[in-house]
Amino acid sequence: MFRETAINDIQRDKALDDSCAGFVMDEETFRAFYERTARGLWAYLARLTGDRQLAEDLLQETFYRFLRAAATYDNETHRRNSLYRIATNLARDVRRRSLARAASDPVGDDIERVPSGQDAAATERMTDFTRAMARLKPRERAMLWLAYAEGASHREIADVLGLRPTSLKPMLFRARRKLAELLGRAPHGGKP
Amino acid sequence: MKPIDCEMEPDILAAVLQGRWPERVDASLRDHVAACAICGDVAAIAGAIDDAREEMRGHAVVPDSGRVWWLAQMRARREAAQAAGRPITAVQAIACACAMSLLGACFGATSAWFQSALHRTAASLASIKLQALLPFAAAFVSEHAAPLLAMAAMLLVVPAAVYLTMLRE
Repeated sequence: MFRETAINDIQRDKALDDSCAGFVMDEETFRAFYERTARGLWAYLARLTGDRQLAEDLLQETFYRFLRAAATYDNETHRRNSLYRIATNLARDVRRRSLARAASDPVGDDIERVPSGQDAAATERMTDFTRAMARLKPRERAMLWLAYAEGASHREIADVLGLRPTSLKPMLFRARRKLAELLGRAPHGGKP
Repeated sequence: MKPIDCEMEPDILAAVLQGRWPERVDASLRDHVAACAICGDVAAIAGAIDDAREEMRGHAVVPDSGRVWWLAQMRARREAAQAAGRPITAVQAIACACAMSLLGACFGATSAWFQSALHRTAASLASIKLQALLPFAAAFVSEHAAPLLAMAAMLLVVPAAVYLTMLRE
């Protein structure tokens, strides 16, 4: 009986050690990476989900899954893309679940609350922008945010969203045009 | 075919993201944006998104990195302990079933009352004529075919569903 208990303990300890070893990143590296990426990732998640609290929850889940992935990365960009890919998939899962619960749940209710301290024009501009973004498809929101807020290249965006790089350019063009129209920019007759 | 990109796009984007647009750029770039549909959209969209990004990053309330690390460690440990405990639980269940069977066998082999009851049951079963039961069974099956089929299906589906659920978990 004691032997069995001891074997159980040994197995449990081994599993615990394995789990700790599963975090390829050490604490110091993780914390530095977190400081560099957390705010940007939170903004991305908040924009995708339209919910600040949900964005915080997803942020923690994203970093946990990132740590558990135990993958090795070639460089900072590769690591960052992986993080955003996890976040995108989590946000997509949440959206699917919420769609199953309630089909008409408007995105952007929570995020429309612009914090006080801004002038009226800025607040109105931000509200218009939020409403326009909320009317885009989630994938369009994600690709525009990655392109113009995060400055990601087409290849990086395709990698994060699981798209073919060749098909990204026309999709990005359409999403940009759609947002421009929603923001009140009339179609332009000029040529590039 | 309608163009979907412009070679000046990166310059416009860089100017917007660096805060140089529109005042601190060449007049030629401004003229181009005024004439180019694509760059016009890029300037408008990138400016709006950059403003939103700044606003959101400024008000972002993210948990402390140390707390996130600590919670991740705790969760990993808890999940590892659960994973390690799962096979032990299965082994314990099998061991318990074996012990019960052994106990039952010992009781059966040593109990006179159990032996006599066993002999009585065997004798009564032998006296039953299966031929006589067949018409009754056939009538029962034909009368209650649907519920019987449903029960049979349940017997097959439920264990499979339980197995698949446990496999997923």
